[in-house]
Amino acid sequence: MAKKANTVSTNNDVIKSRSQFQEVFHRLLKNKGAVIGMIFLLVLVIIALISPLAFDYETQVIGQNMADRLQGPSAAHWFGTDEYGRDLFARIMWGSRYSLIIGFGAVTIGLVVGTILGAIAGFKGGIWDQLIMRFIDIFYSIPNIMIAVVIVSVLGTSTVNLVIALSFSAATGFCRVVRAAVMTVRDQEYVESSYAMGLPTWKIIAKHILPNCLSPIIVQYTLQVGTTIISASSLSFLGIGVPAPAPEWGALLSGGRSRMRDASYLCVLPGLAILFTVLALNLLGDGLRDALDPKLKK
Amino acid sequence: MADLVLDIKDLVVHYETEDADVHAVNGISFQLGKKTTLGLVGETGAGKTTTALSILNLVPNPPGKIKSGSIVLDGVDVLKLSQEELEKVRGNDVAMIFQDPMTALNPVMTVGEQIAESVELHEKVSKQEAMERAKEMLRLVGIAENRAYDYPHQFSGGMKQRVVIAIALACNPKLLIADEPTTALDVTIQAQVLELMKNLIREYDMSMILITHDLGVVAEICDDVAVVYAGRIVEIGTADDIFNHTHHPYTEGLFDSLPNLKERGEELQPIKGLMPDPSNLPPGCSFAPRCPYATDACSKKVPELRPVGGTSSSKHMVACDAYDDPKFCLRRNKDGK
Amino acid sequence: MIKYIVKRLLQLIPVIIVTSFLIYWAMNLTSGDPALLIAGDKATPEMLEQIREEMGLNDPFLVRYGRYMLGMIQGDMGESYITGKDVFQTFMETLPNTLMLGGAAVLIAVIIALPLGIYTAIHQSTWKDNVGMVFALFGTAMPNFWLGLMLILLFSLKLGWFPSGGKAGFSSVVLPAVTVGYGLAALIMRTTRSSMLDVIRQDYMTTARAKGCSERQVIFRHGLKNALIPIITAIGMQISMIMTGSVLAETVFSWPGIGRLVNDSIARRDNEMVTGAIIMCSICMCLINLVVDLVYAFFDPRIKAQYAKKG
Repeated sequence: MAKKANTVSTNNDVIKSRSQFQEVFHRLLKNKGAVIGMIFLLVLVIIALISPLAFDYETQVIGQNMADRLQGPSAAHWFGTDEYGRDLFARIMWGSRYSLIIGFGAVTIGLVVGTILGAIAGFKGGIWDQLIMRFIDIFYSIPNIMIAVVIVSVLGTSTVNLVIALSFSAATGFCRVVRAAVMTVRDQEYVESSYAMGLPTWKIIAKHILPNCLSPIIVQYTLQVGTTIISASSLSFLGIGVPAPAPEWGALLSGGRSRMRDASYLCVLPGLAILFTVLALNLLGDGLRDALDPKLKK
Repeated sequence: MADLVLDIKDLVVHYETEDADVHAVNGISFQLGKKTTLGLVGETGAGKTTTALSILNLVPNPPGKIKSGSIVLDGVDVLKLSQEELEKVRGNDVAMIFQDPMTALNPVMTVGEQIAESVELHEKVSKQEAMERAKEMLRLVGIAENRAYDYPHQFSGGMKQRVVIAIALACNPKLLIADEPTTALDVTIQAQVLELMKNLIREYDMSMILITHDLGVVAEICDDVAVVYAGRIVEIGTADDIFNHTHHPYTEGLFDSLPNLKERGEELQPIKGLMPDPSNLPPGCSFAPRCPYATDACSKKVPELRPVGGTSSSKHMVACDAYDDPKFCLRRNKDGK
Repeated sequence: MIKYIVKRLLQLIPVIIVTSFLIYWAMNLTSGDPALLIAGDKATPEMLEQIREEMGLNDPFLVRYGRYMLGMIQGDMGESYITGKDVFQTFMETLPNTLMLGGAAVLIAVIIALPLGIYTAIHQSTWKDNVGMVFALFGTAMPNFWLGLMLILLFSLKLGWFPSGGKAGFSSVVLPAVTVGYGLAALIMRTTRSSMLDVIRQDYMTTARAKGCSERQVIFRHGLKNALIPIITAIGMQISMIMTGSVLAETVFSWPGIGRLVNDSIARRDNEMVTGAIIMCSICMCLINLVVDLVYAFFDPRIKAQYAKKG
């Protein structure tokens, strides 16, 4: 009887582990917001991929055409044109490339750096933890935008430097999340038993600890990309992000600002692009959180 | 009957969620006389706490819903009262002691404030007077009155439960409902708290409903006992009836699963199987699937409570159709005689 | 308690030293030659060398940093080579404006978010809850400088209710404060809601109901005080966000605060001002965080007891 019960439960486990990903995906599909977010992001990625085919960067995106300046939205220029006669639609479509590359790029760098630091701090504890966390605290005590300002003024204004600057604040977030997750997993018995079996530390981290921290990392990643896209556009808006004339969304707003009175669409539309992109990421992030940890939902 | 404090008739409570309709209480009826203590005995999930919360009309809604029945408290049907009338009853006529003293106290209010609040709500007294009463209550439950200004986290579990008792008794209620008041406490503390409750109830002429799964506690305090299984009362009577003239197979099962000090060699006999899922109750007698005496007839019709008669008191009733056969007798009763 | 505050203040010192060191070092990498700025283009190499010697610019980096910190303790952070203004003094003159903007933003956020959070928690999973959540969703996804632009577009250019920038009386603070406050309100609302949902399920809420408390008393007297602790934490965690928001809102609304000071100084390549302002900012943030920690103690007797023990 007891033996039979055992085999049944193992069977259940097998079924469970095989379908865990599908299970999460299934729950995610039930969440309307997350589905909308996913579809929007998919469309955005496609736009980013095909915009070089649809528009010519030199002539249509940054090429000036003073004859067409400040035309309101029309059939020829769906979103109108800016003060240099550049088609806003082409610029916003092309701008998605910047937002996505900067957002995902900076957060991915942050993910790698932050996860390594967080794992060391959480796993080693003691002096390592103290050192790393105090360091992170310091970054936490300076507003993100100021850190970016310092880094950009040291390295100079360019897209790559912007990505580096933004990856700093992303890394601090991941470091905290991973450290907290590692610390809860660290003392679980299955980790202790791996120790007892003589597995090297890095293997334990890679095999047992990181997979168990995956849920908070995935959620943090999604939400952080949104935050980073906002930060990137904020810095571009201040003039220390992507240098002109590149059509980054924040830079478009900065350019449109002076024309707010007579051409308000120049201010409205790029902002909507940022808003919807971040909204989609947040919807997806919230959906993922609920799908990965159904207990939290209620 | 004039000396009834509480008269519950056909109480039905469901918890309705998206996934399931949980039938927590399925037609419970019982009466409680003045100065009487009734023990409500049953396994976890049998619907004891839901019954207790219903008396205060405090079943969390949603998802809980009192479907039908009446709860007449001192001549008034609690279920028909307005929200404000209910607030006057709660804490004043009926008070409740909860299972876990660790979580039943508000962590950001001093215990004195928490006791005084109850007094302030129901009596026209000043803040100072209420606080004086609170200190008096603390002394009554055996806590020094200067601790009124301490916060719950500064008390031990047993002390917290004393505070909870003080809150409950602050307005001198007619009926006290104690929901497993000692389950979360250490065994030695349990005895102290029970002793305290016993004395206070006698002193204040209160009636009490004691919810527990501990038959030892029941034997010590209760006058009457109702055994609850899957949201129904299966056997009810005086403590003597239940302990010495057990009639329901489930009650017998409960006794058999207790360790017997006199015959230590004997193995425990747990009741086989589990309580049925309350969202999917079996037809007929809900205990039938686990009952050693069950026949095919048992799963056809829900048994009604019937008087036992014989040597038992007039209160003794049992819900078991096996007694259709006049010769039917539980093993326990056979062995005894 | 006082002991605890003193201890926390002492703990701040190494943080401030390291922070300022990093900023000073980084900004030092970028700065041009101040001597060149002072003497102008016509200066001879000898003159430049003399100025450098007089200003101690030829000293090793650590010596210069030490001198800078010593000055800072006395409220002297040098002066801008570009505008000639005293850095510390300029910062202190600008700080109240930023604090005012930040304070107004927090106030607006709390006034909107707290009731909304409680309301949505009580009406969980109804349409009322959903409306509240949409409000929060937009708040976290909206770049606040864009919100600022939209507010100007609507309320000053179209309707003319509020000025579009500058600092002149009460009406001028409304739009910038809403700009900074909305994102914050969204965050506070979400925290209030989840914290309240958590508290609503606690046993002591049932105890309070069983005592005869009305629903209002249960929520406000018993629930809110318990729910406040995570809410204050959330606000405390967002001080950095408020600061960032202020920098942007100040730029959008030409509000004479720290953000604009830093931004203008960057544009002018005024390194002394940028360095000083950022160092002072991080010190202010540390102090505000300390205040937030002390506020917890006020609301939670358990934490107060801990402080007393540690102190």
